Amino acid sequence: MLEIVFSDDVSYQLPYEYLRVYSPSADVSGHGPGQEVLQVGKKNVGITSLIPVGSYAVQINFDDGHDTGLYTWGYLYKLGKNQAALWQDYLDRLAAAGASREPRP
Amino acid sequence: MSFNETDVQSALKNLIDPNTKKDFVSGKSVKNVKVSGADVTLEILLGYPAKSVWDEIRAMVEAHLKGALQGVGKVSVTVSSKVVPHAVQRGVKLVEGVKNIIAVASGKGGVGKSTTAVNLALALAAEGARVGVLDADIYGPSQPTMLGISGQPKSVDGKSLEPMTNHGLQAMSIGFMIDGDDTPMVWRGPMVTQALDQLLHQTRWDNLDYLVVDLPPGTGDIQLTLAQKVPVTGAVIVTTPQDIALMDARKGLKMFEKVGIKIVGIVENMSTHICSKCGHEEHIFGAGGGEKMCADYNVEFLGGLPLDIRIREQADSGNPTVVADPDGTIAKVYKQIARRIAVKVADMAQDHSAAFPKIVVQNT
Ligand SMILES: Nc1ncnc2c1ncn2[C@@H]1O[C@H](COP(=O)(O)OP(=O)(O)O)[C@@H](O)[C@H]1O
Ligand SMILES: [Mg+2]
Ligand SMILES: [Zn+2]
Repeated sequence: MLEIVFSDDVSYQLPYEYLRVYSPSADVSGHGPGQEVLQVGKKNVGITSLIPVGSYAVQINFDDGHDTGLYTWGYLYKLGKNQAALWQDYLDRLAAAGASREPRP
Repeated sequence: MSFNETDVQSALKNLIDPNTKKDFVSGKSVKNVKVSGADVTLEILLGYPAKSVWDEIRAMVEAHLKGALQGVGKVSVTVSSKVVPHAVQRGVKLVEGVKNIIAVASGKGGVGKSTTAVNLALALAAEGARVGVLDADIYGPSQPTMLGISGQPKSVDGKSLEPMTNHGLQAMSIGFMIDGDDTPMVWRGPMVTQALDQLLHQTRWDNLDYLVVDLPPGTGDIQLTLAQKVPVTGAVIVTTPQDIALMDARKGLKMFEKVGIKIVGIVENMSTHICSKCGHEEHIFGAGGGEKMCADYNVEFLGGLPLDIRIREQADSGNPTVVADPDGTIAKVYKQIARRIAVKVADMAQDHSAAFPKIVVQNT
């Protein structure tokens, strides 16, 4: 879980799986609304490292090899603020696709 | 049935400002709520210029309160806008007489940066804001032409410069300082930055809500120095949809981020071509390039303008589209983009993308 505290003391706790399935990387978000690529089986994903990018974002490297997501502060804030809704939306999309959070055996 | 100020506030928590997409209470727009007997008076103070929608918002708030408060009598709402200054990159001194600076930039010349800048400035002014334009494009100052201003600025005290004015804008341009007949001047870096520094700080800007700065295109040393010196509230990047232009625009994006300037968003110019004969609209340079770039970099796609001969003719004759055809479809796009920029700037004081948050990895 990643805890992130913004300058106005708003803080959010973001599970790795949540961060991973909402990666802003083009591999995940696609090239526009409606082109998202559903991420499945990421329940146990972990983080190997965080690399600051300039003063505006952090690159999160996940232990499944995904390392192309640049999370800007604004994006992290959005993920925190809308966590409940976005997570539910993800679960709904998983269910609709008949997919699972569980890693493939 | 009776209600008090708090009930009015709670009712307004359920009403969303269509421009900011936030409710009026968390948008901090609700002021001076007074309940006397069954009557309610209050003010809605918007952080962005929006003269054209004040009436609409007033009617919306009044109708909402009439529905939400049982037994309510007279509801009177006044709506107005007030633009306040927002933070710029750290360590840069603000400009006197200017609340917010919006830098308009592009990775290369000829993409329509100046045309976009002037139309956005006019769109902000049309909504009631006090707006200035600083033409800092040493390579091709075009604001004098686009604004239909000629001559040279006056100085009352021999030191400062009075801004030139037209179409309700205050303007200053490096073009006013060089003689049009001269062979193009060869600028050396320090000379440029000094000249622009003077134009910026020695012009007597009169209480501007926004100063729109038309930056020189590119991402070289001069641009970088300017980006470090000019106190920018937010940058708007103009690009065309071609790959090469997009590549240059990405460099622009990186340059601003490097110096800590916030990106308001990207405008895609010449997104589509509208045939002047049949009105057919076509993506001649390919579709979605600007949007893709925005998605990749998580910046806002502010909007796209068509390639349309009228945009050129109107700008090049000193009457940009927003004043030449203020109610036309193209002017509407510029106005919509300007609204998005203003809303975004208004939100910047509580912006979370500027300050480095504290991040803790908790392994459980
Ligand atoms: N959307 C457009 N449709 C048609 N012509 C345009 C459009 N935008 C800009 N132009 C024209 O293209 C030329 C270059 O635009 P300009 O704003 O001067 O570019 P820049 O400042 O990026 O060098 C100008 O003649 C201008 O009138
Ligand atoms: Mg220009
Ligand atoms: Zn045609």
